[in-house]
Amino acid sequence: MNAPDRFELFVLPDGAKKVTMVRDTKIPNASMFTILKEDHTIGNLIRMQLIADQDIIFAGYRMPHPLEHNVNIRIQTNNNTTPLESIQKSMECLSREFTSLENSFIEQVQKKRNVADQYI
Amino acid sequence: MVNKSTTNGVSDPNLENKRTKVTLTNSGVENARGTYYNGAYTSVGYDNSFNLDRFKENFKINILSETPNELVFEMIGVDAPIANALRRIMISEVPTMAIEKVYIINNTSILQDEVLAHRLGMIPIKVDPRKFNFKLPNKEYTAEDTLIFQLKVKCEKDAITGKIINETALSKHLVWVPTQDQEDMFPNEEDRPRPMEDDIPIMKLRPGQVIDIQCYCEKNIGREHIKWSPVCTASYRLQPVITVDKSIKGDKANELLQKCPKNVFDIEESGRVVAARPLDCTMCRECIRDPEFEENVKIERVRDHFIFSIESTGALKSREIFQEAIKIFIEKCNIVEESINKLVN
Repeated sequence: MNAPDRFELFVLPDGAKKVTMVRDTKIPNASMFTILKEDHTIGNLIRMQLIADQDIIFAGYRMPHPLEHNVNIRIQTNNNTTPLESIQKSMECLSREFTSLENSFIEQVQKKRNVADQYI
Repeated sequence: MVNKSTTNGVSDPNLENKRTKVTLTNSGVENARGTYYNGAYTSVGYDNSFNLDRFKENFKINILSETPNELVFEMIGVDAPIANALRRIMISEVPTMAIEKVYIINNTSILQDEVLAHRLGMIPIKVDPRKFNFKLPNKEYTAEDTLIFQLKVKCEKDAITGKIINETALSKHLVWVPTQDQEDMFPNEEDRPRPMEDDIPIMKLRPGQVIDIQCYCEKNIGREHIKWSPVCTASYRLQPVITVDKSIKGDKANELLQKCPKNVFDIEESGRVVAARPLDCTMCRECIRDPEFEENVKIERVRDHFIFSIESTGALKSREIFQEAIKIFIEKCNIVEESINKLVN
């Protein structure tokens, strides 16, 4: 009836920006990033990657509402970098990590195919 | 700040144990949370920050067992959020095809139309979803995004033998109706769209009852509805490490062997008890329930050693599901990265 369409959980509305940034006015080097149509999958991962960065003072994420698929990531850094730079760096690290993960998975799968030849 | 040791871990064994392992005790789980914070161990000279080279060095994947529909492998040297993201993506974001729209032309069975339509949606369809596009909302069906199946079953009583024919409508009665050039999309006979299993009962019929239905399959992801999820289960657990003290010998050793319902322990020739099959351990803690044994048997799990098991519904092979999940994640990263780069300018 008045239920929202299910695809609204993951389809970005027309004209909306995937990521927006709001600077914290009270604390230096702090920003809040909002990523639309994402959830704990990516929020927790970015947080993990951010707090492993030496220039980060604070990094945390939250999903403001369980029915809305948006995550907020708050970052505070020291003077060596800015929140924007650090999140950029983290995303790059994550892509690289997953690429190396994929490569070693394919490698192992190939090896398995040669050794056991269970199928294919 | 100078970090003396970067790869060998924390020098204090107690702290190192806390950092790398989750401990199970009689009263509960200890150190369940991992620490990802870069400065967590700076005071003891360990650099906990992220380093891609170190990650690549420590990272390992090892396949334990594989059949087309079930894959078990170890992933060593990653943090829990990575394992969890992969699990979540496999369950809810890898696309498959499933019956979405059902046009009921005739249904004289006792099963209501809506119940029947729901049952049909749940049948796993064996077809490569990568060959199809997502169907856009409020658009016409095209050969690139829709598969049509027909279900036409009539239950009859054989006049001579009196046997009832088609007593149960099974998934094998779903017949693929190719539209346009769809037949060319699947040149091999075994690639053709069909239900994963032939013997899934759809409904029971009595003589004289007829169903005549057209089903439209669409591509979508598990977040929309679980019928599009490519996995039965995708789960991970941590590698168990069970250490038994030397002091357990003789009768006590036999007692410990008896305690374990999963038969994890073995007695070596020297009389020592070892955990020979730690992977079988279900962490029931039966072996440490007796306080006498709690001091001598240590049950731990390695924090960065994940044992993944991916059980597929059949549309994609387990290994393909994992590869797709990684691809989807990298794509996600790129979208977010791109959007962040726009913020800079």
